[in-house]
Amino acid sequence: MTPPVTVVAIGNPYRSDDGAGAAVLARLAALLGEEPRVRLVELDGEPVRMVQSWEGSTAVWIIDCVRSGRPPGSIHEVDAARLGELDDQGARLGGGHLLGLADAVELARVIGALPPELRVVGIEGECFDFGVGLTEVVDQACSQAASNLAASIRAHPTLATVNKCGGGAHRGACR
Amino acid sequence: MTHEHRARRFGVEALTRVEGEGGLIIEVHDGELADVKLRIFEPPRFFEAFLRGRAHTEPPDITARICGICPVAYQMSACQAIESALGVEIDPALRDLRHLLYCGEWIESHVLHIHLLHAPDFLGYPSGIAMAVDHRDEVQRGLQLKKIGNRIVEVIGGRAVHPVNIRIGGFYRVPSAAEMADLATELNRALNASLEVARWVAGFAFPDHTLPDGTALVALRHPTEYPMLGNRLVSTDGLDITPEQFLDHFDEEHVEHSTALHGRRLAGGDYMLGPLARFALNHDHLAPQAAAVAAEVGLGPSERNPFRSILVRAIETVHACETALSIALTYRPPERSFVPSEARASVGCGWTEAPRGLLFHRYEIDDAGVIGDARIVPPTSQNQPVIEHDLMHLIEHSLHLDDAALEALCEQAVRNYDPCISCATHFLDMRVHRT
Repeated sequence: MTPPVTVVAIGNPYRSDDGAGAAVLARLAALLGEEPRVRLVELDGEPVRMVQSWEGSTAVWIIDCVRSGRPPGSIHEVDAARLGELDDQGARLGGGHLLGLADAVELARVIGALPPELRVVGIEGECFDFGVGLTEVVDQACSQAASNLAASIRAHPTLATVNKCGGGAHRGACR
Repeated sequence: MTHEHRARRFGVEALTRVEGEGGLIIEVHDGELADVKLRIFEPPRFFEAFLRGRAHTEPPDITARICGICPVAYQMSACQAIESALGVEIDPALRDLRHLLYCGEWIESHVLHIHLLHAPDFLGYPSGIAMAVDHRDEVQRGLQLKKIGNRIVEVIGGRAVHPVNIRIGGFYRVPSAAEMADLATELNRALNASLEVARWVAGFAFPDHTLPDGTALVALRHPTEYPMLGNRLVSTDGLDITPEQFLDHFDEEHVEHSTALHGRRLAGGDYMLGPLARFALNHDHLAPQAAAVAAEVGLGPSERNPFRSILVRAIETVHACETALSIALTYRPPERSFVPSEARASVGCGWTEAPRGLLFHRYEIDDAGVIGDARIVPPTSQNQPVIEHDLMHLIEHSLHLDDAALEALCEQAVRNYDPCISCATHFLDMRVHRT
């Protein structure tokens, strides 16, 4: 069975708070426990893999660290159509070298691969220096975001209409 | 971009649809082309320095981080070099798995380049996404093909980017027969799709252009295989050397306008790496369906139009699918996943054909297995001089074009080389100055 819900974390855990997506995903996995209807995927942000990661799912959340000028640790959740609200430079979400999150969403739209529901959770970052580890404020925000996301997923009507069949939340390894 | 009196000044602040950050400056004085500089401003990444003092077992994992597009190339060249130093000869079955893994990376890289980076130039779109609006089926087909490349790298390498299952002497784990049977099923579909892609690309309008006279084509050569893991380096002007002889014939130098070293032949003259060179020097070893479709679309070994390199990439994608399928269909899990080895004071050189061309590694190892010196020569840094000279040749014959048309043609020409600037600095904002 293709999991009806996919959660995609993107970012680079070796650039401090840019690892927020991966941190939220790990905490979400612990909160959801055995849940085969949810697919958890870590990616580096390459758009084609991102679009292909949610194939078959009807509800998709993407978690990323963002810089919008709001206070560090702020949590934003927007529909994919409103991605521009998460970035003040237009660069972070546009990607550095090839294509970025906004391009992935647009690519999905034009090839008909956009899921019925696609939401982006942005964690406002503070530090993007080299190194592993989140700042305290972002670390706290990741726990809050994971908790919020777990509640949203559990309450999501897509899950309510699918029979439970055991097993664990499926953790992808597509980094 | 501005247009001045007798001065044409082009500027592409960030050249798109290439991997990495760099630029292009074109100087035109009194209607004559004066200079072309490929400016690479992505910061140097110092990977060779990182490797000094590290264990000889670490380069496959460390150098994989140089590139998210071609990590397997780094891993394969690193393994070859260190295994050469230690006198390790890997089992044929393990070599087949490496070959299969490399096929996955070629498929991923070539298909991404063809569909999202380069095809838009030929079909008149500003981006792959804009192209997908009108060519949805073709882009979807390409993305599905890329997915099988990802899948191969996942199954053999442990994950699709920066694989973790590669070690000196082989692998940490080899795939099961069932995993390989699933891959074979997917590869059957992929092979058909790759043939369709080659015929689609063959229908593009290719600008009429040839490489400057005297440009040598350089690629690996293997006695029986189209070279991913070739063992000798050959050229169209008679070169035929072993990895240990590479630095007697090739060097790198720093130029002021680039943070990436420029490759050069000690004997002088430009040389070009990559698909066009591989095809010219190895067309006789293409897999049967790849050879047949190359003949069908009129691609011959004397091809020297860099704009047709996208077509060679498509043919090489067919070859990679066909080769991968052949390996998957005959797979039996090897008895051991790696050939053990012991550290010894030694020097080893290795090379493989990354999607963009020759990738050379050299390591000096001490008795304790610690790396004393490392040298990595990636394809894009070697191709930089020929890109500049090829562009000069192209622009000299294209100065009648207006600024916008010339700029577009130059960007398309740079993409013929599918440059990976992140690898080379470890490229592109473009300016043309006409005075």
